[in-house]
Order: sequence, then C-alpha cells, then structure tokens
Amino acid sequence: MSLLRLDQIGRTYDMGHVQVEALHGVSMTVERGEMVAILGPSGSGKTTMMSIIGCLDRPTSGRYELDGTDVGSLNDAALARIRSRTIGFVFQSYNLLPGTSAMDNVATPLLYQGVSRRERQARAAAALEQLGLGHRLRHEPSELSGGEQQRVALARALVTKPALVLADEPTGNLALHQGQEVLALFQDLHAAGHTILLITHNPEVAAIAQRQVHLLDGAVVDAGIAA
Amino acid sequence: MSAVELVRLALSRLRRGRVRAALTMLGVIIGVASVVGLVSVGRGTTARITQQLSSLGTNLLTINPARGSANTLTLDDAAAIAGLSGLAAVAPEIQTQRTVATSTTNTTTTSVVGTSADYATVRAFEVWQGTFLTPFAVDQGLRQVVLGATVATALGLGADAIGGQVNISGLPFQVIGILQPKGGAGSNDPDNQVLVPLGVVRKYYVGGTGVQSIGISVANATGMQAARDSISELLRVRHGLAAGATDDFSIFDQTQLLQAASSISGTLTLLLGGIASIALIVGGIGIMNIMLVSVRERTREIGIRKALGARGRDILSQFLIEALTLSLIGGLIGVLAGIVVSAIIGRIAGWGFIFDPATIAVATVFSLAVGIVFGVWPARQAARLDPVNALRYE
Repeated sequence: MSLLRLDQIGRTYDMGHVQVEALHGVSMTVERGEMVAILGPSGSGKTTMMSIIGCLDRPTSGRYELDGTDVGSLNDAALARIRSRTIGFVFQSYNLLPGTSAMDNVATPLLYQGVSRRERQARAAAALEQLGLGHRLRHEPSELSGGEQQRVALARALVTKPALVLADEPTGNLALHQGQEVLALFQDLHAAGHTILLITHNPEVAAIAQRQVHLLDGAVVDAGIAA
Repeated sequence: MSAVELVRLALSRLRRGRVRAALTMLGVIIGVASVVGLVSVGRGTTARITQQLSSLGTNLLTINPARGSANTLTLDDAAAIAGLSGLAAVAPEIQTQRTVATSTTNTTTTSVVGTSADYATVRAFEVWQGTFLTPFAVDQGLRQVVLGATVATALGLGADAIGGQVNISGLPFQVIGILQPKGGAGSNDPDNQVLVPLGVVRKYYVGGTGVQSIGISVANATGMQAARDSISELLRVRHGLAAGATDDFSIFDQTQLLQAASSISGTLTLLLGGIASIALIVGGIGIMNIMLVSVRERTREIGIRKALGARGRDILSQFLIEALTLSLIGGLIGVLAGIVVSAIIGRIAGWGFIFDPATIAVATVFSLAVGIVFGVWPARQAARLDPVNALRYE
C-alpha cells in the first residue's frame, strides 16, 4: 500500500468576492522509502500542496489518504495527532522556536506526544548528535549558523521517527555549500530508508530525488517516472 | 501535556521577558495588596469597636426611667431585681455634678455617682490603687470615695493619695481607691467621675427615693433576653402597670449597640474590599491586554507548535497557564505586600497586626479567578489560529 495517495485533490480559497483555485485535480502517490521532489515555479500551488499533505490544511475536493487513513474525514485534534506521529516538517526559514535551546527545540514534538522529560532530552540529544550537533545542545537558534539551524530543524523532524519527512525549500535560505551539506543529509536519510517529499522551485535541488513531480498552475503536468 | 510541563513552559517564557512579566503582575499585586490591606483595616476597626464596647461592661443591661417619666425607678426596684436568678451583679446609680477639691487648691467639677459595691463588676472597672467601695461601706454610708483616673489626674493625686482626703461640695471624704483608666474623651469620658456609697449621695446631695439608672450584669451572654423579659415583667408588676399600658422604664441592651456597630464596620469592610477588587479587575485587564499582544507576537510560534503536533487545547492550556502563572505570582506577592501594609497600618492606628488567613485564601483564589477569566479569551484566540496562516505570519 502506498504511504500517500492524492486523488483529484482541489483547494479553493474563498477571498470574499473571488474564488482562487490553488489546486485542481491533483493526483499522485508516494511509496514508502521513496524520495520525491515536487517541482514548480512560485505560484504553482507548491505551498498549498505541502499544507494539505502535511495535514495543516484540508482539501476542498478530492480524497487524501495518508498511511491508510482518509485524512479528509478527520477533525482538528486528529489532524494534530497525525502531524505529531506521522509527519516531520522542515521549513525554508527553519522555524525554530526563538529563545529556546537546540535540545528543547528538538524535544518539542515529543512533548506533544506525551513523552517524559527525561526520555525527551535523551532522544533530542541523540538526534542532534546524529546530525553532528552534539556540541550545540545548549545553543539558541540566534547563536547558530543557517546551516546549523536547518540541521537542528532536521533533527526535530526526525526525532519522532515519522513515516514521512516533508521539506519545503530546505535550502532556500542557505549559502551554497551549506545547502549542499543539507541535501547530502537528505540523501543519507533516504539511503537509510526514510520517505522524503522535497518541495522546491529549484531543478538542481529536485535532481537529488528519484522522481520529480512537476506542478504548474495548480495541476500536475508531469508525475515523473521513478528513476 | 501535563500541568507540570505547562507550568515549566510558562515559567521559562516569563523568565525571558522579566520586565514585561513584572509590569503585568504589578496590577494584580496592587489589587491583591489593597484587598488584603483594606480588609485588615476593616477588621481592625471592628476589633477596636468591639473591644471598646465590651470595656463598658460585660453582658450589661441598663434600666432607665422611660422618657418623660422621671423617678419611676427606686432603690426597692433595684433590690427586687437583685433577687432574680441569672444575674451576676446589680448596681443602682444616682448621679450629681459636684465640685471636688483637695486640701491644696486643686479643684475640678465632675459627676459624683452614688452606687453599690457591684458597680465595678457591672461597669467593668478595675482598681489601680487602693480598694473599691465595700458592701460594708455602702451599707453604713461611710464617706469614702473612689476616684476616676481623669479626676485623679486633674487633682494631681497619685498612689500616695490613698487614705488622704478630698472635699466634695465642701464635705470631706476619705480616698480609698483610684480606678484604672478606660480611655475615652469629652463628655463620654468614663474616667471623669468619682464613686461614693449611694446612701451618702441620697443623704447629702439628692433627696427622694428615685434612682437614675440601674446597671445589671447578666451571668452569661445567652441569658440576656431571658433576663430582660423577667426584669420587665417584675417592674411592670411592681409599678402596677395594666396589661395594655406602655412601660414607664426602658431596658437598654449593650449587645444591641455591639451588633449595630459590628454590622456597620462589616459593611465598611465589604465596601473597602469592593473598592480594592476594582483594582484587582483592572490588574486582570492588564494581564488580558499583555496576553493578547503576546498571542499576536507569537503567532508564528503557535503555527510551529501546531505543525509539530500541538492540538488546539495544548495551545489553549499553554497560554492559559501563562496567564494563571502571572496572576498567581502577582497574587502571592500582593498578599505579602498586603500583610506588610496592614502590619504598618495596624501599628500606626494602634490595633496591632491582624492576620486573617481567610482574606489571604480569598485573595489568592480571586487572583487565580482573574487569571482564568482574563486569560481564557487570549488563549482561545491562540488555540483557534489556523496553522497555515500562523506559519506564514511575519
């Protein structure tokens, strides 16, 4: 069974007097262990798609199944539970909690799973060490470089062992060599068996994925073939 | 999330914005401190009134002729009342204004009260020096006098005056005692009088058979009403009043005055507490204001937390606990400040330090309630934020 299946997904924003159709008729599947890039220029509906796949938003039409669950029928609390258990987010602007240590940032998703403080700290420290940040546990985001911050964000996405890692322009704010380091980390994760969905406008970034799904004006123009 | 986690989160947040947290708390601190302080002022006033009233005499009933019917009370009435059960002491009184002089040139005009040996019990007087009038002195009509503290001072008499002599309207009396002062001023000064055996006043100053009042100390507080009833019945029979006739005497109950006074000061306490709680409500609005600003400033944080798996109620409780922590810490500081303030006021006003755990419990509960009432709305706003928009918020 596919990890993720989108079937004729549409998303329309009601702006009062106008209806804006951000997505229409989007269908795609992602298998477990795949690394897929969703590629498209700005305004193509990438962010809307990531919000829906990430269970931050609901489609206005179509059917979305994640890990065998029909997400469209769930209430807010159940969606929060899916975000907590199944998805790990990596954002372009890192989105670390300001004034909070790297360790506490990484431990936060575990807080919402009800994990004990001691175990949270142990798992957060282990996740950070795995990404080469064992010496930065007590540092706050403002004391870290962009590359380090994005690695903290990656550790935070991975600490819950999610079925799906969802990355939105993860290299967009990084200098070239730092971006390459982060991309190399994604490749390592893929090699280790993680399912990764990479959302980007940059074909070079998308190139590290096995498969590229091209998005244009809210529709899939090329679902790509697994390499 | 457990309450402990939420409190830890709230504390670390408040630690990061210490100045803002302190300023936010200030409203609650002032509110709670004024509640605690003003209520203690109210209690202090009540305590002082109660103490002053009880210094007039314990379980005191005073019988006077009814208005417009002078001289209806007699010494025989007093004797008959003394025969009733349930009474601790009965003291008839005849009063007259006289000049009291020492052998030197000191003189003062004061009221000379002719009474019995029970007077000290009925009116709760303590002897400072010497002795009080004895039953023997009263029976024999000895020319002995006990001086009130104000009179003793006015005449320049101290402990060495015991056994000495003063003249009342020219007649010599032996000074046998000086009373402890009770305090009071002006026309109500209970220390501005001298006490002599009743028979002496009758013989030398005021003729007739009437007495001006009869003071009675009832044996215990629960017997007040019963004592009134039996005295009233006795006097009506003795005065030959028909069933429908109005009393030609009046019985005044000390406790009525006490109840009236304490209900006034109770109202006063409530009023002061009410005014102070307005300050507390203003403090609560301050918390709400800051929490609303905080929700706005931390919109992105809320979006991040939701993306990381926080449910609406996790966010709700996080912000609510933050507001509660602010109001509770403010409340506790306010209680401490209030205790200090009431100790200072108590010392200045002279009723001492009144510590009332109930006020503190009420103030604490009240400040928690303020936190909940004024924290819920901002917290709901935070919980309802749409995660997509919140994440995009700059």
